[in-house]
Amino acid sequence: MSDSPNQEELRIGVYICHCGSNIAGVIPPAEVAEWASHLPGVVRATDTLYACADSGQSLIKEDIKKYNLNRVVVSACSVRMHETTFRGAVSEAGLNPFLMEMANIREQCTWAHGHDKAGALEKAKDLTAAAVAKARFLTPLEFITVPVTKRAMVIGGGVAGISAALDLADQGIETVLVEKEPTIGGVMAQLNKTFPTMDCSI
Amino acid sequence: MVDAARHPKITVKTYTNVERVEGYVGNFKVQLREKARYVRADRCNGCGECAKACPVEVPNYFEMNLAPRKAAYVPMSQSVPLLYTIDMDACIHCYKCVDACGALDAIDFSQEDKIEWEDVGSVVVATGFNHFDPSVIPEYGYSQYPNVITAMEMERLNNSAGPTTGNLIRPSDGLNPKRVAIINCVGSRDKRFNPWCSNFCCMYAIKNAILLKQANPDIDLSIYYIDIRTPSKGYEEFYDRAREMGIHFIQGRPSLISEDPLTRNLYIHSEDQALGKVIEKEYDMVMLNQAAVPQPDVDTVSSILNISQSPGGWFMEYHPKLRPVDSPTDGIFLAGACQGQKDIPASVSSGLACASRAGRILHSDEWQIEPIIAQVWEDRCVSAEGKQCGVCAKACPYGAITVEKGTAALITTAKCHGCGGCVAECPHNAITQMHYTDAQILAQIRALLAEKPEEKIFAFRCQWCSYGGADLAGTSHFDYSSNERGIRVMCSARMDSDFIYEAFRLGAGAVMYSGCHPQDCHYITGQRVGAVRADRLLKTLEKLGMSDGRFRIEWISAAEGDKYSRVINEMQQTINDIGMQQILAENAAMRPELEKRSRRMYEVPMVPEASTYSDKMVIAMSVKEVKDGK
Repeated sequence: MSDSPNQEELRIGVYICHCGSNIAGVIPPAEVAEWASHLPGVVRATDTLYACADSGQSLIKEDIKKYNLNRVVVSACSVRMHETTFRGAVSEAGLNPFLMEMANIREQCTWAHGHDKAGALEKAKDLTAAAVAKARFLTPLEFITVPVTKRAMVIGGGVAGISAALDLADQGIETVLVEKEPTIGGVMAQLNKTFPTMDCSI
Repeated sequence: MVDAARHPKITVKTYTNVERVEGYVGNFKVQLREKARYVRADRCNGCGECAKACPVEVPNYFEMNLAPRKAAYVPMSQSVPLLYTIDMDACIHCYKCVDACGALDAIDFSQEDKIEWEDVGSVVVATGFNHFDPSVIPEYGYSQYPNVITAMEMERLNNSAGPTTGNLIRPSDGLNPKRVAIINCVGSRDKRFNPWCSNFCCMYAIKNAILLKQANPDIDLSIYYIDIRTPSKGYEEFYDRAREMGIHFIQGRPSLISEDPLTRNLYIHSEDQALGKVIEKEYDMVMLNQAAVPQPDVDTVSSILNISQSPGGWFMEYHPKLRPVDSPTDGIFLAGACQGQKDIPASVSSGLACASRAGRILHSDEWQIEPIIAQVWEDRCVSAEGKQCGVCAKACPYGAITVEKGTAALITTAKCHGCGGCVAECPHNAITQMHYTDAQILAQIRALLAEKPEEKIFAFRCQWCSYGGADLAGTSHFDYSSNERGIRVMCSARMDSDFIYEAFRLGAGAVMYSGCHPQDCHYITGQRVGAVRADRLLKTLEKLGMSDGRFRIEWISAAEGDKYSRVINEMQQTINDIGMQQILAENAAMRPELEKRSRRMYEVPMVPEASTYSDKMVIAMSVKEVKDGK
């Protein structure tokens, strides 16, 4: 139960990424880190040039051990970019991957508010605070393991679908190729020669 | 084509539609409808006697309707499988085909559509593209002037396997044209129709020009273009070759094609940018190089597979650079032109990339999925007390919840996709979602609205679409108001009324409730659950006296960064127009009712720590209220 009582002392580490000049060109990451260090539960807050780089990940991993961190907040880019990266980093240091939370201060802050540096700074602080607030309630979770049916389906029998099906089948995977027309081939089969080599399409 | 049909590991199912896709990565169930062919696949040997005997002729779409086919047909002689089909819309039931088939006895008029389910671990979507229909461009006269043809018609007329065995003739009189023009960007790069560059048509025009010139060196060939785009390997060299062959390239988009009604010759009126003047030239035949457009059934396919669409209707990839062939659904991949206009090398590359991406999963014995699932607090579920409820089961798009009176609602973990709809719908707060608990989300809302809440635009976004839209707004550097503060949940279905009440109770200036467009929803009907709730919320908030525009419901896809930034800026404008005094007054007036409504939030079993946290927030609020003189 994710909201069940959890009495351990919170030790949150906060990392504010520069992303080169992508973030640091608009806001001062060190100022956000200094500000975040006063948030409840935060025992370590620092800025880092590239959180996703080996050096940035090593810093987080070393800090988890050094400061005995039990939550990590990374204020950097979109979760769509690097959530997996940082989950991997914290779990390499022995922390459950779901005890890491990201704040998106690049795509959704410095990149969108490049002309409003003061506003961007306030927002970066707030987004970091929200990630820290969520981190306080995070609980360790385990991935769900599911079995895999070792068969593939390709929908559409044009040149892309045929290529995919052949390669899957050559890997030894049983593949069902589905086509709505009476023949496979798609647009390609209607073509004469194809550029730039002028070979036949079929 | 033949390799695919012959491969021992490939089963080719033609004349078959995909009707439903259920399940999740590693464990998809796909429902197929194999349409009745009225020909038995196990007996037909492709001899074609049925077609010879068939007296009905209809236009053959494979030949762009330039040649007829019979009601008993194969689309082309190289069809794979070489298996005849009887077109029941055209068939007159004379049964001559049955006689012609004779002892083979392959014709079977009693055949019906066959429904079957396939279990697969991964799905590659390669549903392709369609050609733009140029008859909607009045100035080019297609379908009105017989000698104005499309690129695909040219393809068949110029093809040795086509209806004229490759002898290019004018449809009006059957003569070989001596002067041919090709017009590029027909329906492409034209704001009236499609804004995009269709990618392959420049090369396609050059290919056709070279082929025609090779077949007849005396032919006069002109290509009208806006820009010639030849960015891939060997393409520019191909263009050079065309110029060396004496093909004319005229920079200008023709404004009109007119016809001499006697000769059926065509006049192209165009600007020639090199000459800097308007020209008019006569041709025997004109080919319109059509835009590539999404398939007409793209909405159906996207709702069966829950794949979002980019503007225009192409399927949306998970990430344009890093995961270009992944769909947002784990285990479903996008190959070829369904994802965006592609030429053959790019289509093949993406198909091969999909095979590699799918192979990652299919070579594993097990796959890990995120544990972001719903869980029931059994002691809170009223069904356990024998009361009638079942609201959660109704909200679930996957049928993952079983409710029986006398026992608490039961969630089948393997079926739960983690949209969070049941969590927000449960009237008794008896369900929680891992990693997106009420306590976690409320903590975020409270942190984001701790300072000057009345100036803030609070945005609830779903993971798949509107959060992606916000990302794209940033990636594209579309500036919007820095007063925006957003959180992410998995689906708009998870956006509990109490979260919105809480945001306004804390004093937010405006709130946006956003998620996927209905057809893009990652959780089949999750967006609809969210949309119904959002509409109800809007009415409630209006009744409570809130000004128009302070609560907005917006469906924004991951491809609509421009929309995300526009909506936020409009909301900023709304706040400015209403004015701070009015917002503060409205919030104060609404607060007692909001507190009554969102009271149940405090019933959420929170960690002691959480209550301390929320207490702190309440204290912070009271301090602020004192400061504001309330």
